[in-house]
Amino acid sequence: MSNGGELRYVIGQNAYIKLILHALKHKTSSVNGVLLGRLSGDVVEITESVPLFHCSQIGLLPPLEIALIMIEEYYSSQGLSIVGYFHANERFDDLELGTVAKNIADHIYRYFPQTAVLLLDNKKLGALRNKKDTAPVMQLYTRDSSRSWNVANRITTKEPSANILLLDFTSSEKWNDIVDFDDHLDDISKDWLNSELFK
Amino acid sequence: MVSKTEESQLQQLENQVENRGGGAWEYLSLVRKLKLRRSDKVLKHGLTILNDPKKRSALGPDEWTLYEQVAIAALDCQCLEVAKDCIKVLQKKFPDSKRVGRLEAMLLEAKGSWAEAEKAYSSLLEDNPLDQVISMRRVAMAKARGDILGAIEWLNKYLEIFMADHDAWRELAEIYVSLQMYKQAAFCYEELILSQPMIPLYHLAYADCTSAIAQLTKGRNNEDKEISGLAAAALEKDYKQSSPSKLSLLSSTLRSLKIQ
Repeated sequence: MSNGGELRYVIGQNAYIKLILHALKHKTSSVNGVLLGRLSGDVVEITESVPLFHCSQIGLLPPLEIALIMIEEYYSSQGLSIVGYFHANERFDDLELGTVAKNIADHIYRYFPQTAVLLLDNKKLGALRNKKDTAPVMQLYTRDSSRSWNVANRITTKEPSANILLLDFTSSEKWNDIVDFDDHLDDISKDWLNSELFK
Repeated sequence: MVSKTEESQLQQLENQVENRGGGAWEYLSLVRKLKLRRSDKVLKHGLTILNDPKKRSALGPDEWTLYEQVAIAALDCQCLEVAKDCIKVLQKKFPDSKRVGRLEAMLLEAKGSWAEAEKAYSSLLEDNPLDQVISMRRVAMAKARGDILGAIEWLNKYLEIFMADHDAWRELAEIYVSLQMYKQAAFCYEELILSQPMIPLYHLAYADCTSAIAQLTKGRNNEDKEISGLAAAALEKDYKQSSPSKLSLLSSTLRSLKIQ
């Protein structure tokens, strides 16, 4: 069994970009999303993500529960399971993992102890335009057997050009095409899988 | 609260303006009327009008309203220079105006000069203690600084005076939900449902709150199988029609929630 202290986390660029575009689409509220992937030796590979909610009711449990069940069910047929959670705070300079985020993270931890919790770092995201950086603009948190979520520095993007592609999409305002679970609940014809997004 | 017709009207105008089909002033007026937050678009299209002397004079007295709208949008987008310029124009036209004074205080807020902004708001409130917008700015500032408990305190004080302000009740409810204080949030939604029972959003949010409370206190309660069964059937019908690819996912989700 892998020692949690040596686990690495790698996020694929599609999963990565989707989450950030979602945050950019809803600049004035907190957003969250779920990470899907698999544990492979001492690496947690995050290969997919589903943006969940952007409304200010983000702390409500029933829609979250339904979303998680549906998402888990869909991706299990592809051999993927829920491996983490993404959260972006409402305020620009808020780099704290708040109670709502922690509670949802704890919930996922029960099913997958190597859960990755990613918090968007707005300052790093803003700085991307001026400073070329290949590191993901997110803060990684992991949890050991204690109850607290601790910052870890073990996340990289699978493709080194992920941030360049992200900047590209940002300037073309690609975030308008993102559909999250909230949008789906409003209009069920909207596809939270975003299957057409990167085509 | 925006109705479906207003929403589609807005979308239409927005697409038209974005694709250079004209109608910028109608779009900006609609955004103002519905009190929506579309600051990046307001800034873009508002400036196009303001920077064109012909278009500006065509507005007549509405020109000043547009300056105000664009100033606020600029503050939201952190384009402080643009905001400063708009405010300067308004200061020249309306010296000693309380409304312009408000904008100056908002500029301080946007810069992050919290103490100065607080002083400015307090002095404006001394002359005008019943100014709703300024009282609300106090709440907004507390929230922006991350002082959520302060925001709650100010908001409660505000609601004691302006208890018919639905947006304030909604804001308070949302803050409570973010702190997972579902009982208090439910109280706010009750107030909203009592005064505006025809708005489905409040009922939905209230239902979410009460079910969250129920879930946290005694776990799932499956007593009313009939209603949940009917709801499940209605959902499946909807999905068959509008989202058939997800129908099987829905069915198994409902099964695992034991609603089918």
